[in-house]
Amino acid sequence: MYILKNAWISIKRNKGRNILIGIIILIIACAATVTLAIKNTARDLINSYKSAYDKEVTIGFNRENLMKDFNPGQEENREEMKDRFQNIGNYTISDVEKFADSKYIESYYYTYSINLNGNSIDKAEIEVEDNRFGRKDNQSNYDFTVTGYNSMDAMSEFITGTYQISEIVDNAWDVAFDGNYVFINKELADYNNLKLNDKITLEDDDGNTYQFEILGIFEEKESEDNMSMFSNSVNTIVTNSSAVNDITNSNENIQGNVRPTFIIDNYDNVEKLQEEFYSKGLDSNYILQTNEDLAMSGTSSIKNINSFSTTFLIITLIIGGIVLFVINMINIRERKYEIGVLRTIGISKFELTLQFVCELVIVALISLSLGAGIGAVSSKSISNNLLENEISNSQEKTEEIGRNFGKEGRVGGDFKGKGMPVVQAYTSIDAVVDVKVLVELLGIGLSLVLVSSIASMVSIQRFSPLTILKERS
Amino acid sequence: MANKTILSIKNASYRYSDADSNDYALKDISFDFEEGKMYAIRGRSGSGKTTLLSLISGLERCSEGQIIFDGKDLKDINLDKYRNSDIGIVFQSYNLLPFMSASENIILSMDVNGLKIADKKKKAIELMEKVGLKEEYADRKVLRLSGGEQQRVAIARSLSYNPKMIIADEPTGNLDKQTEKEILDIFEKLAHEEGKCVIIVTHSANVCAKADKVFDLKKHN
Repeated sequence: MYILKNAWISIKRNKGRNILIGIIILIIACAATVTLAIKNTARDLINSYKSAYDKEVTIGFNRENLMKDFNPGQEENREEMKDRFQNIGNYTISDVEKFADSKYIESYYYTYSINLNGNSIDKAEIEVEDNRFGRKDNQSNYDFTVTGYNSMDAMSEFITGTYQISEIVDNAWDVAFDGNYVFINKELADYNNLKLNDKITLEDDDGNTYQFEILGIFEEKESEDNMSMFSNSVNTIVTNSSAVNDITNSNENIQGNVRPTFIIDNYDNVEKLQEEFYSKGLDSNYILQTNEDLAMSGTSSIKNINSFSTTFLIITLIIGGIVLFVINMINIRERKYEIGVLRTIGISKFELTLQFVCELVIVALISLSLGAGIGAVSSKSISNNLLENEISNSQEKTEEIGRNFGKEGRVGGDFKGKGMPVVQAYTSIDAVVDVKVLVELLGIGLSLVLVSSIASMVSIQRFSPLTILKERS
Repeated sequence: MANKTILSIKNASYRYSDADSNDYALKDISFDFEEGKMYAIRGRSGSGKTTLLSLISGLERCSEGQIIFDGKDLKDINLDKYRNSDIGIVFQSYNLLPFMSASENIILSMDVNGLKIADKKKKAIELMEKVGLKEEYADRKVLRLSGGEQQRVAIARSLSYNPKMIIADEPTGNLDKQTEKEILDIFEKLAHEEGKCVIIVTHSANVCAKADKVFDLKKHN
């Protein structure tokens, strides 16, 4: 107890030096608080990006494996490659359901596509033989590709903004996933003079007909093929997967194409999941692909700010540590006589070291508290300024997805409409100085104080009290 | 009847760590010190007086030989504890902490010893009065005291935990004759009335005259 008392007496006695130490630690504490708050915020944002995109896994060809030994110059080799591709085993919806029954998978969705011909409507096509661009629009054998989605999460074209609803019936999304309802391209609607709630009929190769009601009309943005009369999706008819499933169930000659997307708990489990899929019958020419790169692509600026903050903190700590080191060494030299007297009257080296450490820790704790307070006040505005772009980007993204699905106006806060993909929208970023930041600050501050005082503490151990007192005499 | 021997120095030698193997600051010293007596150790400059004092007070350990305090070899005991419990040290230059008052210096020594008494300040004032200092000096910063007063504070500090032995290094070296006499009277009382062993390293003939026994240190070689 007397060590604390002595420490406090010494702090009061050496006001000038302790105020100087306090100011240095205060500056470090402010910088550290703001930096840690920014880092935490950036980490939250990155996590938010990850969660906004979900951890998706899709099934794709293992091209590297398939193209192994491929020599395009040899006709035989080309035929062999063709056989190799054709012999890759297909997978069905029941396979997908089997794959999805895994501890690594949180949820899944899929698209189910088939090809049908028009019955009551015509395919949007303009036949131009040998036109000046040497090309023809739409070379498919069928009129239409009917793509069924099992949930809004599966409607990636709408999420990314490739498709955007331009007209929609009221409460369309309440019924869109159950029944013979479709969304069609605006160009196709114009071509066939169709409007909302009109009914269209399609037919398969065997002459069976299927009737659908139009719930919405969409436009394709930024079509990849700008040299075409129509957009790529002009003859794509969007419906739900159960409608497609009903068609394939009613006619086994229709081959459907399933494209599943699995939401996993952790990207680290992809390899294990892939092994599990193979064991459940997935052809080894397929591999699992993730959206990790895409999910993280928007975080580069945040990462830059994060790494800048870290560098700034490290530099502040190094400079602050050096200054504290020098002050501590001067402190010990100035107080040699006191050390000599205390050692002579029986204070052990350990107790003496403890007293000096206590002095520093008391000053540090006061400064760290003040620094945390000042840092807490300033960190929010600093973080918001630094991360301003991220805030506006996240807001724009939310609004854009809302528009793509035909929801007018801004969709604020957590964008969780009926079956809507989850995207976090920020109006501001709260760089909160929470308990975690305070603990980190305390750890950094005290570590810095202790590390910078190690040399002076070692020198205490080496002082001979008799020598000190002789010098004094 | 002989008093109990409290400290025995047996063939003690001391050589500085950086000195040649035969270059001893102190060589083959043997003394016995009893409770209730005042001893003077005298010798010319360089004879090793201060070195002997530092060995007795546990600030250094002897290179050869033994120093036995109350039956225990100093090599085997915690010397910090020894200094803040068993012996009191008084220096020529007082070695008080200048930023503390007289009573605070004494109380600090009690704190280091771990003394558990309710009113340490009262005890400090009693000790000050015992060495001839009035209560009004208690809160005075030691730098505002005269040399004799400071030395009295230093003696009071050394008595604060009631040690068995007082070791003083030229305690009257900076004092006038009258003060020297008063300080020596205090030491004499401590030895003869309170039964403490008082060892004074000195040049002073007056100290030697008062001492029950005088040891002469001669320079080695």
